[in-house]
Amino acid sequence: MVKLTAKCILAGDATVGKSTLAQLFRSDGAHFQKNYAMTVGVDIIMKTVHIPETNDSVELLIYDSSGKEIFYEIMEKLWEQPSILCLVYDVSNEQSFNSCAKWLQRVRARTLCSQLPGVLVGNKTDLVGRRTVEQKQAQEWAAQNELEYFETSAKEMENFEVPFRTLAKSFHRLYQERVEAIQSFV
Amino acid sequence: MTKLSDVCLSSCGATVVLATSCDERYPPENILDGKSETFWTTTGIFPQEFIIGFSGPAKINKLTVQSYLVRNLKIEKSISKDPVNFEKCAEKELENSEGQLQTEEFMLPGCQATYLRFIIESSFDQFVSIHRVMADGNMDNISSTA
Ligand SMILES: Nc1nc2c(ncn2[C@@H]2O[C@H](COP(=O)(O)OP(=O)(O)OP(=O)(O)O)[C@@H](O)[C@H]2O)c(=O)[nH]1
Ligand SMILES: [Mg+2]
Repeated sequence: MVKLTAKCILAGDATVGKSTLAQLFRSDGAHFQKNYAMTVGVDIIMKTVHIPETNDSVELLIYDSSGKEIFYEIMEKLWEQPSILCLVYDVSNEQSFNSCAKWLQRVRARTLCSQLPGVLVGNKTDLVGRRTVEQKQAQEWAAQNELEYFETSAKEMENFEVPFRTLAKSFHRLYQERVEAIQSFV
Repeated sequence: MTKLSDVCLSSCGATVVLATSCDERYPPENILDGKSETFWTTTGIFPQEFIIGFSGPAKINKLTVQSYLVRNLKIEKSISKDPVNFEKCAEKELENSEGQLQTEEFMLPGCQATYLRFIIESSFDQFVSIHRVMADGNMDNISSTA
């Protein structure tokens, strides 16, 4: 039985729904933030995720980060040595998708680790008529950048847990692999 | 005259009094069992630390740390009865050594300690391991009852 602790950077442009997703996940779907409240710098949200078919768990420290450039200097310091990455864009906002490359590069620059498990999340799928980023396009970009891809609607409470649970599982798998690697040469 | 030996062994009364990670399959006691094959793993975010307590005041000349994927390691000592009032005594940036253990020596002439604190500030990967800490020194036998 082991409890791992992962620093999860939640990043992406402003208003794509990062805080909404994080709060929904924290509250098991009980809390949808309807009105926009800008995140100032970084909010840290804690949630423990049990890993299925094991006695293990991963405590996620979700660094819910602002999408606003003015806070970037502070955030950069808080992002040191990340464990995992959750990158979010809004499927009705093409600019927010285009920014993902920038956010990805910024987070990866904060670690020396060869592997940083990450996911790309296309949020606000409920805005069907206003969609400007196609699933295929996002999926391809995610695959090229070694990210798993998910679509969510925080508003409709669809799929909001899956990205976080997937990250916790990836982190847990990485731990198992690393420990096995050490045992193979000692 | 007392002869120098490894005082960092559970068989000599040394214990790990604190560790910030614990996987019961790789517990911190593995650091003090005198074997390089057994180890303690960290289980996530950095910094991570562990504190070794001796059965009494120890004189230490040299510390050797066997680890894997540790990048920055800081060592502090305390001469208090409890693990408080630590003072920094060494710090090093280690080399990455993929596929083999890091063996790092710290010369600490005249160092006296009842506790040693090891702080792993940063790493080369998500998880690191500590296999063994050896301390060449001897115990001041003032309060020894063993
Ligand atoms: N229609 C719709 N609106 C959403 C969804 N998720 C979030 N929102 C709304 O989008 C707005 C912005 O959400 P936030 O979660 O605050 O955005 P953020 O990414 O945290 O923004 P910053 O903190 O400024 O970076 C809020 O009004 C939310 O109610 C969704 O899935 N669908
Ligand atoms: Mg926010």
